[in-house]
Amino acid sequence: MRPSSRTSLLSATLACVAMLLVLALRGADAAEIILSAQDAPAVRQFTAALAAQRPEDQVRFVPIGELAIGTLPPPTTRLILIGEDALVWRLKTAIESPTLIMRVNRLEARRWLNGQRPENVTLLWNDPPLDRQLKLLRLLLPHVRRVGVLFDADSQHLLEPLRQAAAPLQLEIVAREWPNPRDSRPLLELLNDSDVLLGFEAPSLYNPLTAKSLLLTSYARQRALIGPNAPFVRAGSLSSTYSDQDDWLQSLDELLDQPPASWPRALYPTHFKVLSNPQVARALGIALDDDAELARRLAAGEHSR
Amino acid sequence: MRALLPPMIAVVPLHPSLPFSFALLALATTHPAAAEDLFADGESVPQILTATRLKQSPAAVPGSVTLLDRQLIESSGARSVPELMRLVPGMMVGYLSGNQGMVNYHGSSVSEARRMQVLIDGRSVYRAGLATVDWADIPVALEDIDRIEVFRGPNTVSYGANALMGVINIITRSPSESIGTRLKVTRGKRGVNDWYASQGFNWQDGDMRLSLSGLRDDGFDHDDEGNDFRDSTRANRFNLSTTHRLDAQQTLDWQLAAKEGTNQRPYNYEPVFDRLIPGGIAPGDNNSDVVARDYAGSMRWTFDMNPRHSLYVQGAAQHWDRNQEWVACDAALAFSPQLAELWSLNPVLTKRVFRLRPLPAGTTPREAELAQQVLQQMQEQVTTQQPAVCGDVNQNIRETRYDLELQDTYSVTDSLRLLSGAGYRREEVASETYFGGKLNNDILRTFAHLEWTIDPHWILQGGAMLENDRNSGESLTPRLAVNYLITPSHGLRAVYSEAVRTPDMAENNLDLRYEVSNLSPSVNGQNSAYYFSRVTGTGGLKEEHMRSRELGYNGLFSNLGLSIDLKLFREDVSDMISEAFTSDGYTPSNANSMSFQGAELQADWRLSASDRVRLTYAYVDQTATEDRDLRLSARNSGSAAWMREWAHGWSSSVIYYGADALNERRFERLDLRLAKRVRLGSANLQIAGVLQQRLDDEALTWKENLYDDRQQFYLSAELGF
Repeated sequence: MRPSSRTSLLSATLACVAMLLVLALRGADAAEIILSAQDAPAVRQFTAALAAQRPEDQVRFVPIGELAIGTLPPPTTRLILIGEDALVWRLKTAIESPTLIMRVNRLEARRWLNGQRPENVTLLWNDPPLDRQLKLLRLLLPHVRRVGVLFDADSQHLLEPLRQAAAPLQLEIVAREWPNPRDSRPLLELLNDSDVLLGFEAPSLYNPLTAKSLLLTSYARQRALIGPNAPFVRAGSLSSTYSDQDDWLQSLDELLDQPPASWPRALYPTHFKVLSNPQVARALGIALDDDAELARRLAAGEHSR
Repeated sequence: MRALLPPMIAVVPLHPSLPFSFALLALATTHPAAAEDLFADGESVPQILTATRLKQSPAAVPGSVTLLDRQLIESSGARSVPELMRLVPGMMVGYLSGNQGMVNYHGSSVSEARRMQVLIDGRSVYRAGLATVDWADIPVALEDIDRIEVFRGPNTVSYGANALMGVINIITRSPSESIGTRLKVTRGKRGVNDWYASQGFNWQDGDMRLSLSGLRDDGFDHDDEGNDFRDSTRANRFNLSTTHRLDAQQTLDWQLAAKEGTNQRPYNYEPVFDRLIPGGIAPGDNNSDVVARDYAGSMRWTFDMNPRHSLYVQGAAQHWDRNQEWVACDAALAFSPQLAELWSLNPVLTKRVFRLRPLPAGTTPREAELAQQVLQQMQEQVTTQQPAVCGDVNQNIRETRYDLELQDTYSVTDSLRLLSGAGYRREEVASETYFGGKLNNDILRTFAHLEWTIDPHWILQGGAMLENDRNSGESLTPRLAVNYLITPSHGLRAVYSEAVRTPDMAENNLDLRYEVSNLSPSVNGQNSAYYFSRVTGTGGLKEEHMRSRELGYNGLFSNLGLSIDLKLFREDVSDMISEAFTSDGYTPSNANSMSFQGAELQADWRLSASDRVRLTYAYVDQTATEDRDLRLSARNSGSAAWMREWAHGWSSSVIYYGADALNERRFERLDLRLAKRVRLGSANLQIAGVLQQRLDDEALTWKENLYDDRQQFYLSAELGF
């Protein structure tokens, strides 16, 4: 549909004014942003999208291998690193550039960080935040009380924050250690003692190999699984929040507008979506709102805090 | 393990025209399959809960289903499947003796239970020749059962002919859920002495469970005359269940099962010519116990072609071996060819001759001639005072079934699913006593069932089965259900279905005569001879027909944790074969009928994380042309259970069972189970005690089924590691 010429003129004028305002406000910060990761079309595409989103900044892509052997960027350059390899490189490289590290989850990062708190590094968690997942669970299943959670040695530390997030929602966390995913007894006990399962992105527990027994066993006992992420929802989990490229671009944009000194050490994206599996919901007899509506209600709850 | 899937009528063409299919496929796009996304698309996970694996929600099921889950099975403290059936609304449970349980849905004769299909992991345990289920002999331990799905109502579309009144679908624990060791012993009053041992293990691509188990009890204590009742049970079982994951799409499951044991039966041969021998004839034996052996093997190959299409092929072989032998004694006259001929012509007249009564008018010249000869032989017996003749008698029977079934599940779109398949079954029976040799039957079956979710509220499900039984002919049975979902968890349903039961081999081809061997002294120089009585069926029986109409409601109030199912029904069985065979003869016919109407309620209420209350009630109003079919049917029956998990590993359950009249006898019992779970390092020990208190003071089902007192108690200890 072509907009009328009058509308397009008005839009163009407004856009110019807005851009001037933005440039005036951001002028001081306008600088180089280097995005680095293992080279892949999707990464290049994301760089291009970010560049388009921030025309005032010089956004360019440098493969992580080249960044490692070349001259280190100056402290004024903001670095955006993507993936676990990039995290590992950053941890062993003395560099002053403020760094945002994307597409890492808390469990992976914990292994590499090993208790360190590197300076000038902000970790942008890729795994859905547990309090957001719990709120989604509450929206979908307003009457459940006992939330079953599987954990292993790597993920045990998440239980306490999870319990703290669950308490205000009147949810009780029932946790079972699952040291050996080929022995389903802990899972069976957990399904007996809980009303719904919540999965967190722990690759040792939730992976393509464990998916079948997890999903079939919980479905046979009419228990829904919430999370751990979008691919699992396609496999048969009921629902999960997630952030896609657009959400990350928006969240990143907001972050880059702030001076690096104010960046937190770690954060979750403020923008997100909800993905549900309507067939699973139907088979479990669960009424589902539209995904966009669920995301809107969750976001409204977060903003009102 | 067929899931309790849908039964119905093909309202949409099974082979839709091309444009129609394309239109449906175009509707099939479901998940927002985003283009490759750097953040949202992590490691790809195969689709597990596919359209072919998901079943309808309880509110959308096209019929009435009772699910007995593991918690309920364990909390009941039951030792046998018939006892568990008391938890199912409308199920009538009775006992011929301690080891002959009978389960009928809604009711009918108390001595036969032949109108319900019973499956273990998809394999029918309904006997091939003498249509019945030997509950004491089915080769499965209660500890191996994961759940029992009871389909209340006819469902021949999904389960084949003989699923006339209902289907009991026993599903064992999957081997992958049986890892580790479990040991259990149970000891108690009335000779209860059970044990169970299982070991589950796995390897890269498979899981296996081996279980061994035993069951023993003394049955009833005494009969109505105070005599010891010979009806104890002894069984040992072996089960092996294995899963092989061949690749991401294919699974191979196989099972082996065997059971051997003895079901005691009292010796009940009464010599016909007792008074012709001075001092009478002593019993030839002290029992006619049945040695029962069951063997079964099955294999299923499942192929998930894609998330929308899967199929399986299951083959099963099963063998029932019943050996029942005893020594009987009578006068040599019992083997007289003239007596045998007279009996075959006129049993009533023969009995008059035994009592030395005059021959009535209407006696044919041949009958008169034979009667004269028999009287003469009786006279000779008295004058010569020949001793009684003893010999070996048996009621041995071997039955075999081979079954091959293909089932295909195709999800045409998210809202249209087709289940179809075909099967072949061969049944063989061998018994000199029952059939004078061997008989067999071949059955071919094809079925289709369609499930159409018209919109979020309306679901239409229907199907039909076409079966060709070589002995009874062809039958077509349809089924149609409409569900209206008020919300996804509250649904109303209307179901119409038809079903058939094919006459069993005994009904059609009975030729019951006893060849007595090892005769001592010999008779006419022979050491084996045929006993005089012979009972033969008339043959030419047709199938029984059933029409059922049902209105129901199923709802889950998740705020209360309460699920409710309510059903109103009317069922009419016509062309019904009611006659039982006796030594006097057997003249089965399709002349009888019976009808049931009534209501059933089941409610399961999870009051809190630790409390569960469950109620069932059935009101059944029955009419029947034959009084015997009214026997095992209570007008009011039900159960009420409260299960609770206490602190420190304690749990309890209290269950009340009641039926106002089962074979004219009231039945009321209160069961209490108390269990304590203790953790011993990495092992779990559970000690449980079960107390059953009868609240009525009636015999159980028959007047001779009596216990010394009204309380039963047993204790069990189970160790899992």
